[in-house]
Amino acid sequence: MTDTILSVSNLSTSFRTDRGWLKAIDGVSFTVHRGEILGLVGESGCGKSVTSQSIMRLYEEKRMVRYEGTVMLSGTDLLSLPFSRMQHIRGRDISMIFQDALSSLNPVLTVGDQIMEPLRIHQKMRGDAARAEALNMLRLVGIPAPETRLRQYPHELSGGMRQRVMIAIALACHPQLLIADEPTTALDVTIQAQIMDLIVFLNRQLAMGVILITHDLAVVAQTCQRVAVMYLGQIVEEGGVPDIFDRPLHPYTRGLLASIPRMDGDRRERLHVIDGTVPLLHQMPSGCRFAPRCPYATDHCRKEMPQLRSVSGGQSVRCWREEE
Amino acid sequence: MKKYILKRILTLLPTVFIVSVVVFLLVHLTPGDPAAMMLGDDATMEDIAALHAKLGLDDPLIVQYIRWVSRCLQGDFGTSTAVIGQKVSDMVFSHFRPTLCLAIYSQLITILLAIPTGILAARKRGRIADMITSVLSLLGISLPSFMMGLGLVLLVAVHFRALPAAGYKDLFTDGLLPFLRYMTLPALSLGFIHAAYMMRMTKTSMLEVLSSDYIKMARSKGVKEHTIIGKHAFRNAFLTVLTVIGQGFISALAGAAVVEKLFTIPGIGTLMVDSIEKRDYQVIQAITLLIAMLNVVINLIIDLLYGLCDPRIRLE
Ligand SMILES: Nc1ncnc2c1ncn2[C@@H]1O[C@H](COP(=O)(O)OP(=O)(O)OP(=O)(O)O)[C@@H](O)[C@H]1O
Ligand SMILES: [Mg+2]
Repeated sequence: MTDTILSVSNLSTSFRTDRGWLKAIDGVSFTVHRGEILGLVGESGCGKSVTSQSIMRLYEEKRMVRYEGTVMLSGTDLLSLPFSRMQHIRGRDISMIFQDALSSLNPVLTVGDQIMEPLRIHQKMRGDAARAEALNMLRLVGIPAPETRLRQYPHELSGGMRQRVMIAIALACHPQLLIADEPTTALDVTIQAQIMDLIVFLNRQLAMGVILITHDLAVVAQTCQRVAVMYLGQIVEEGGVPDIFDRPLHPYTRGLLASIPRMDGDRRERLHVIDGTVPLLHQMPSGCRFAPRCPYATDHCRKEMPQLRSVSGGQSVRCWREEE
Repeated sequence: MKKYILKRILTLLPTVFIVSVVVFLLVHLTPGDPAAMMLGDDATMEDIAALHAKLGLDDPLIVQYIRWVSRCLQGDFGTSTAVIGQKVSDMVFSHFRPTLCLAIYSQLITILLAIPTGILAARKRGRIADMITSVLSLLGISLPSFMMGLGLVLLVAVHFRALPAAGYKDLFTDGLLPFLRYMTLPALSLGFIHAAYMMRMTKTSMLEVLSSDYIKMARSKGVKEHTIIGKHAFRNAFLTVLTVIGQGFISALAGAAVVEKLFTIPGIGTLMVDSIEKRDYQVIQAITLLIAMLNVVINLIIDLLYGLCDPRIRLE
């Protein structure tokens, strides 16, 4: 469990817009260990997707985006790699799955073609070897009659099947790290549970690290070992799931947990119970970013930004109230 | 796929029927008696009546239509009323080859010019390559083809004396090189407008495809940039471009008259203009029918190619 795969420190990503450079995420730091699932939660627009896509450097237009900080993957800093080296990392060491499998699979290529592609690129597999491995992957993600599926196109599969196919594609080269960006949001509840079970199963089976981005705190409670809570482009609290769920320190985390729907209710409900609205990126408060919505905010909070500091038992929080 | 092809062909039948009726009526409703026209000014009433009976012009319209259709199906389009003794099918056929060769050549140039530049413009959005293609495509859209042709003739043929200003050499009887020498300027002026349009369509559909999730997914698999463009993106963008190629072919076939006249190419366009001048209704009718049917056939081919390229359509 202590085997660190990914260590992100002080990651900031800025986009060039009409109003100049906007920092979508600011000083994000976290680590992922082998065999661990790290949950990344926060309201819509807080920068979860930007964080994950910055790790893979998927915003490729150089003049439109700027990265700062370091992203260490097993000892290499991905942000300082030349672009061609980065292409070897993608799909081989880190993979990603997305929310909507229908739009994430190429409509004019067969399932087989899309699974075999990373095998051809990274493992130089050809012909029958690639085919056999693709069939293995389809079996691994629980797809019945894989020989038929291989020849089919994405639109011929059901939503749950497509999600499994996307997972098979992402895991084809057995990456050390899987980033799952809301992998179940587009599915109905029973399929959601199946896909989450599959991700947990594969995480154990392949001993890979997983970053699970989700809106669903119930899913985090069930599947993740650790969780990082993001607010407005920063991580405000991070720690083990039992610790944070038992003893949330940041007022924002408390708000999120208070807004959790009961387990017997509709689990897909989004989190939006905390008062106030999220400020826009270009009118960021200068002190603590949560201060305008925080019931405990003081003048100090409004003037000076707190840092993410570890408190006890591996839990860290970005709040002045925990400084004493 | 077989079912798809059959369905496509069946849906064409009503179109073909309506087109044939319209073309048939087109000539029958035009004022003037074709028999009188054929016999000239000094024909007697008896002569005209006799020809009427011979041609079946007094039969009910339905009978005439059915007779006309069955003759057309056998490749018999009657004889010319202007050039005595000439079979219309021979005239149309001999003029059709230059037009077809010109259309294919101009579309080849168009495709080879427009698609790569369109892709390039999508890749280098906002940079110089993009700006140049934007200006060129604006020029192409606002310039009529005869202006383009005249400009090309003045520059390439008159000023640089690089290529002949007019004339026709056949691909099959004269060989490839003479054909290219004589046909490049006409093909360019015929294709340029469409090239500009195709370039813009390629660029916009490439941009749309490149921002889609499956491109992001492909990048996250480690696919190299040129494979992303060629395999993942272009195959999808091509679906839009295919329709544009079909339109281009049709307009190159149907709209070649101006360019053919300008470069004195003995094609369908030239024949059409001459026949209109001579009121050679049989020929006009045959050409109209031919162009209309080509339209139908090209659309069918595009549909079939569409089914071939897009698995989502094939299976419905
Ligand atoms: N390419 C981009 N250019 C400019 N701004 C961007 C870009 N991508 C994201 N942003 C901005 O970055 C912020 C964070 O967006 P992000 O997509 O990471 O949110 P998220 O946490 O994933 O939200 P959701 O839960 O809705 O997916 C948003 O304010 C968004 O407008
Ligand atoms: Mg997101």
